[in-house]
Amino acid sequence: MLNLLIYAAVAIFVLVLIAKFVKYSTMPVHLRWEIYPVPHDPRHEHGGSYYEEVSWWAKPRQKTLAGELKEMLMEMLFIKRIFTYKRSLWWLTYPFHTGIYLILLWFVLLFVSALIDIFAVEVLKMPAYYLTLIVGSIAIVLLLIFSLALLIRRISDWELRNYSSFLDYFNLIFIFAVVATGVLAWQKDVDFTLAKNYMKALITFSSPPAVSLETQVHIVLLSLLLIYLPFTKMTHFLAKWFTYHKILWEDEPVMGSEMDEKLKKYLTQYKVKWSAPHIDPNLSWAEEATKCDLAGRCEVKL
Amino acid sequence: MREMVKINDIAKKEGQLVKITLEDLMKLPPPYDKPGMEPNVTEPKPEWSQNYVTELDGYVAIDVPWKPKSKEEEDALVQKFISGLRKLIDKEANWTFIQPLLLSLEYCARCQTCSDACHVYISSGRKEIYRPTYRAEVLRRLIKKISAGGNFKAKFLGDVDLNAKTILRLAECAYRCNLCRRCAQYCPLGIDNGLIAREIRKLFVQELGIAPQPLHAQGTAKHLTTGSSTGLTPDGFKDMIEFLEEEIKEKTGKNIKIPVDEKGSDILLFHNAGEYLSWPENIEAFAIIFEEAGLDWTLSSEMVGYDAVNYGVWYDDVQFSRIALKHAEIARKLDVNRVVIGECGHAHKALTVVADRIFVDEYQIPRESYLPILWDIVRRKKLNLDPSKNDFPVTLHDPCNIVRLMGIVEPQRNILKEICPKFREMKPNGVYNYCCGGGSGFAIINSMNFPEFRQKVSARMKFKQILEAFQDSISPEIKKYVCAPCSNCKGTIRDILGHYNATANCGIHYGGLVELVVNAMVDLEQPYIELI
Repeated sequence: MLNLLIYAAVAIFVLVLIAKFVKYSTMPVHLRWEIYPVPHDPRHEHGGSYYEEVSWWAKPRQKTLAGELKEMLMEMLFIKRIFTYKRSLWWLTYPFHTGIYLILLWFVLLFVSALIDIFAVEVLKMPAYYLTLIVGSIAIVLLLIFSLALLIRRISDWELRNYSSFLDYFNLIFIFAVVATGVLAWQKDVDFTLAKNYMKALITFSSPPAVSLETQVHIVLLSLLLIYLPFTKMTHFLAKWFTYHKILWEDEPVMGSEMDEKLKKYLTQYKVKWSAPHIDPNLSWAEEATKCDLAGRCEVKL
Repeated sequence: MREMVKINDIAKKEGQLVKITLEDLMKLPPPYDKPGMEPNVTEPKPEWSQNYVTELDGYVAIDVPWKPKSKEEEDALVQKFISGLRKLIDKEANWTFIQPLLLSLEYCARCQTCSDACHVYISSGRKEIYRPTYRAEVLRRLIKKISAGGNFKAKFLGDVDLNAKTILRLAECAYRCNLCRRCAQYCPLGIDNGLIAREIRKLFVQELGIAPQPLHAQGTAKHLTTGSSTGLTPDGFKDMIEFLEEEIKEKTGKNIKIPVDEKGSDILLFHNAGEYLSWPENIEAFAIIFEEAGLDWTLSSEMVGYDAVNYGVWYDDVQFSRIALKHAEIARKLDVNRVVIGECGHAHKALTVVADRIFVDEYQIPRESYLPILWDIVRRKKLNLDPSKNDFPVTLHDPCNIVRLMGIVEPQRNILKEICPKFREMKPNGVYNYCCGGGSGFAIINSMNFPEFRQKVSARMKFKQILEAFQDSISPEIKKYVCAPCSNCKGTIRDILGHYNATANCGIHYGGLVELVVNAMVDLEQPYIELI
């Protein structure tokens, strides 16, 4: 039963995230709305763009992947913007996010250790054992302390409390509960051998080893969290991909791109729909925007 | 005193949510650190609250009498507003911005990192309603509320009552943001609260027809029906050109014929028509430089073609598209190679960047800023310039629309470094600049007491930066120049210098960039810029 829940949770997590990804990536191409610096522009050091060039359209567009990767990594590995702009929060949120990265790494390590066991790769057993032990221990400690710290901060700081809803607290309590039961399970499995064997059972679709009640509770909570996450703003890594790559750093000009067909569809097939006096809701965007008289006067009823 | 305003206070509280006071406002550097150096704040007139919304902070941006007078009118307002909310999240009605809007609504972590980026919030003395997140949170909760299972969701996701008070205050609150989008630059998740302010404005104008008159009735509508939001007609424009040619002759002795409607020119130059009326020396300077540099250029005398502005970019996608298409069509009819935009920030962004994706087929005409061209002229020494003619302290204001939102940072600096020996930067500058305080239409909203909000709150950070840049030479005997290459920024800076009496107190003057270039021209006998 527990196994089934885990498989289902992982599947739902992945499928819902894919669905969300599809939802946002199939939305209409929005109007250009970037913000500089745009790190894939070679002029990004001073915040520049191709508009700094005379007759920019006549020159080949240059892009630097390195600039973009650097900015992305600074954000992903160090949460640069919070470090720069809100240091007091960074001291709490950075260790918390490091805890998340490490616990994900721990799951990968468990998976690899299980494979090493299955294929009996003797030389790798010891390194995998220690690596799993170290990474897992640090991750659990960080998550335990800093999920609690973030919760306390959200409750005690008026500027955060005023904007927080029940769910904001619930999310942090949920994470804390998962970590706390994880700590209890850890007491029964100090070097994660049991965890590794459990992973082995999941990989090989065989029956899992017997685990304590605490561990069972932990597995149930963790699976529920996994199912819940993609529906919430906690999977903001997904949003971040769109907000940066598709909006704030999206400086693709129409000239020389393949956007034309899409744009024509929006302009000619989509109805304006709005119903203020200066708009006719039944017209298409193109009809509405070009509605002018012979003298070139555009009719505007207010 | 800093008022603790809760989200739901927008729906519940009687009277003003916050009050601007001199004590709360951000402190200014010398000589404005002493009491009595700036005018006091005034009270809104009691009779205004009959028709206009004074219940936010006492200031009125929306100068249309739109307050409901009965229970029925209130209900009708709520219903219209709800239908507007639905259209904001409709793929067809809001294809232009639905993706960034939904991402910003769904994924904000309410960490408040953005608040410290906002000059309005900081300058006001950190008043809650000016936080980039305040109006965004209200909109987020309202959209949740009208979606399936709204009342249930409201319990868990946070609630706000939807009534006439909420709607009226939210509309005013959307006009307390300059749309400079500095907050989005700070956001670790890339959430855009500036966009949300604009989306709220859009809802009100596109569904209810409600917007400040200077933007809508006297703005885009006037632009489309008479030719310019200034009221300048094609005939008036032609007279103006003659006047400008005479004035150039008078000031510089140069015989310059300003080309108008010359088909097949290389460049069609678009100016903000406000320049013709308030700063003709800017247009004249362009003509002098372009002629001396031997460019093949023309102006257009066609309706809408002699006014580069597009106020739609601040509040209305439909009006925005109408004006942008009109601009492109005029360029196409004149058969020019490219459109070049003069010293108007929002026209830069509107025509080159934002409108790019409504220009298909023949509408897709190359468009660019005058700044790289001007730098090219200076760099290649096409003009004979003597920097010592600009021997006064100069600082540069970065218009958000040209710099943060378009990435044109260096050309203007290169020019100033070349021709102004006493050039110094403001801090912060470039893409991290602060808005002048006139962004998104504030510069031209002069109804009722709104100018006071601009002078005291939204432009305060810019005034502080200007004073700081000139601290080493702050005495009024030393004449100084704030270079603001954008009409609306220039207008805002003119107004703050007036409000704080800073020309008399500190010798601070203002103007554009091309004027400095012409002022440095060796063959001019009289200074082009007079700092008195």
